[in-house]
Amino acid sequence: MSAWLNPIQRWVWSDPVRRGYRLLRFAEVEADGGRDLARAAELTPDPKLRRLYLRHAADEQRHSDMFRRRGSALLRESAKRGEGWQPDWLAPGERGLDDVEVEEGRDAPLLAFLHLSEAAAARSFAVYHKAVAADAETRDVFARILKDENFHMSYTRHELGRVAPRKQGWLLWKARLGRLWKGYLRFAVALAGLMGGILLTLQYFILLPVFALGAKRAAKREPEGWAPARDKRDLKGQY
Amino acid sequence: MKILGLSCFYHDSAAALVIDGVPVAAVQEERLSRRKNDAAFPIEAVEYCLDLAGLEPEELDAVVFYERPMLKFERVLTTALRAFPASWRSFPHAMKNMLGEKAWVRGVITSRLGVPGYRILFTEHHQSHAAAAFLTAPTERAAILTADGVGEWATLTVGTGTRGAAGTSIAIDREIRFPHSLGMLYSTFTAYLGFAVNEGEYKVMGLASYGKPTMADAVRKLIARTADGAFRLDLDYFDFHTTSKRSFSEKFVQLFGPPRNRYEPIDLATDEGRRFADCAASVQAVLEDILVDLTRDLHERTRLPDLCLGGGVALNGVANARILRESGFERIFVPPAPGDAGCALGAALYADRIHFGNPDKDFPDHPFWGPEPDYAALPRIAAEDRFPHEALTDEALIEETADDLAAGRIVGWIQGRTEFGPRALGNRSLLAAPHDAAMRDRLNRDIKYREEFRPFAPVCPVEEAERFFELPPGGARLARFMSGVFPVRPEWRERLAAITHVDGTARLQTLERGFAPRLYDLIQAYGRRSGVPVLLNTSFNLAGEPIVCTAQEGYSTFRRSGVDLLIVGNTRVRKRPKSAQRETHEEEELV
Repeated sequence: MSAWLNPIQRWVWSDPVRRGYRLLRFAEVEADGGRDLARAAELTPDPKLRRLYLRHAADEQRHSDMFRRRGSALLRESAKRGEGWQPDWLAPGERGLDDVEVEEGRDAPLLAFLHLSEAAAARSFAVYHKAVAADAETRDVFARILKDENFHMSYTRHELGRVAPRKQGWLLWKARLGRLWKGYLRFAVALAGLMGGILLTLQYFILLPVFALGAKRAAKREPEGWAPARDKRDLKGQY
Repeated sequence: MKILGLSCFYHDSAAALVIDGVPVAAVQEERLSRRKNDAAFPIEAVEYCLDLAGLEPEELDAVVFYERPMLKFERVLTTALRAFPASWRSFPHAMKNMLGEKAWVRGVITSRLGVPGYRILFTEHHQSHAAAAFLTAPTERAAILTADGVGEWATLTVGTGTRGAAGTSIAIDREIRFPHSLGMLYSTFTAYLGFAVNEGEYKVMGLASYGKPTMADAVRKLIARTADGAFRLDLDYFDFHTTSKRSFSEKFVQLFGPPRNRYEPIDLATDEGRRFADCAASVQAVLEDILVDLTRDLHERTRLPDLCLGGGVALNGVANARILRESGFERIFVPPAPGDAGCALGAALYADRIHFGNPDKDFPDHPFWGPEPDYAALPRIAAEDRFPHEALTDEALIEETADDLAAGRIVGWIQGRTEFGPRALGNRSLLAAPHDAAMRDRLNRDIKYREEFRPFAPVCPVEEAERFFELPPGGARLARFMSGVFPVRPEWRERLAAITHVDGTARLQTLERGFAPRLYDLIQAYGRRSGVPVLLNTSFNLAGEPIVCTAQEGYSTFRRSGVDLLIVGNTRVRKRPKSAQRETHEEEELV
């Protein structure tokens, strides 16, 4: 994460309520990541990887618990209520395993992907660790999690070397490109959604008023209560 | 005739295969994809069904989708038009949502399965619910009531069903239409109380027992009765028709107070916590009153002894038990999957019996239509991970597991084919002794990671149930698929503390030996040790995960939670002592 974002991070993390909600959202992301790793453990034919994935899943669950406990404590300690403004777009939070696709017999690409995700998470957590300097307890949570992230980074890299010794470099590049592609897709979907939303809103106000008038009149004529059921024995139509 | 039923795109997608009038397979997509409440096209469920029967898609005589997409689209569009201009925020979202896959179901099925368009049929949503409730029940004539959030237009329907040598018919006489919906009312409170809609309704029901219906009059302001005995929602209190963000309006908040923040736990010792419990109790009471009224009227009109209930509202076991006591019906049948997943089976059965006019066939009275585990997988995995495991004879398995349960151990239990529907009814269960409240707390804390106010269910041999539970006539049948909540007899409440809810009730499952023979024998063996042939039976999953399906998933859950031993078929695996676990971790550190 770029150094120039640090002041923004410090500001984002400065408010205890915002900090609390952020940690609670992190807890959900970590729990989701734990479920993905458990799934990987269920599908892998490699006993060693199964043990490591299960341990990793347990770590993620533990992180989730730590985030949840600390987030809840921050909210309890604060007199303020409600989530308020959550500027996640300004300083995106943890993305966890980033919609990882866990499939049977694809351990090598998964390990490459996990390695990069864990490295990215470790970088983010290091920034958060600095940003919460004034809050010793939250800082401690990040410090403990960072230690685990280092183990996750090292085991995924080591196992990638074991499972795919000749292809590891290529797989890491492929995973990097995959992460970029996913980032692009996220952006493209958001942009398409925004454009679609604008077009549909324009249509709503330009085309629909006349039909809306008709629909409102028809609704007034509709009797209250029970209505006779349609005769619908023909199953061929979608209508 | 080979008919595949499908439900998908909203929540809990599923596939069901009916061959020559009898179900062969039915499974929710979430059990295979491992994404809870998976709503995607159920391709893995379809593959499972077809593989089991050895069929290719082109050999299917029909594929039946559980609702009519264009009729649903009409409802979504009309709702937006009626709410104009307040619906301007929800309109783009609703249109993008509908115009993705949901409006083009015939094309999606054709492209995914390669089945020609003319073989694709569509039932109405509540027709599917009605068929799933009636055609799976052991009755020849019954009244039918279906209720959920909304299908196409209908939110609640009533009618009658007849089956037998003369043919099968399901006659839905009348319906209540969107936006007036019992399901939407309950879901709105689910959201208000900070739980996930379509998933957290159980929590509202569990929380209701901790409160008093002090706000029932306020809830009745939201839902007025009409002169003909139906009901209508006062839309000023709701926002589900104008925005996709929130289902309740500011006026609702003024009436009931600020909504619960989903991140804040419910503390029943505080005024705020009690207010939420009272809210839950109030909406539960109003829901029950209306359902009892509607079913009493239905009974008076049909004079039939049997009632089949379908739709998501039929998952409300407290309401079901009240209907049984107060409506006049002698027996109530709720299928194991009354919600949208069950519609896949309902749609296939409706097409078979009514569209194609095939003769009626008895429906096997059990829910076990999903995949069977690979029994060889557990010993292999356990050996690889150096976990103590052993293959036991049937007798040793039953007797030793009963000993473990009596010693306070929690057992992960996987036998046979997985259940179709949201409940673990004996083949994918966590079992434990039912006596001690500490066991309930341990399960909530170490395994299920869920709210402390949620109760656990008991399972008991049907012939013993009356001894421990106050069952009205027909209660044992309603409890077959855990569809009713009944009082625990006062003299047993202390000894059944882990399964007795705060209001003295329990969501009982009654068990016949033929239904799940091993579990039945285990409960009896446990009864010989404890004097109480009752076990705590909860679904074998962790929070946020679907119920386990395979042995590998059972093993992973066993490893990640406080479950003490895992049994798959005849293989038993125990947790290692802590010291041995540490050794393995140390070894793994050296990667």
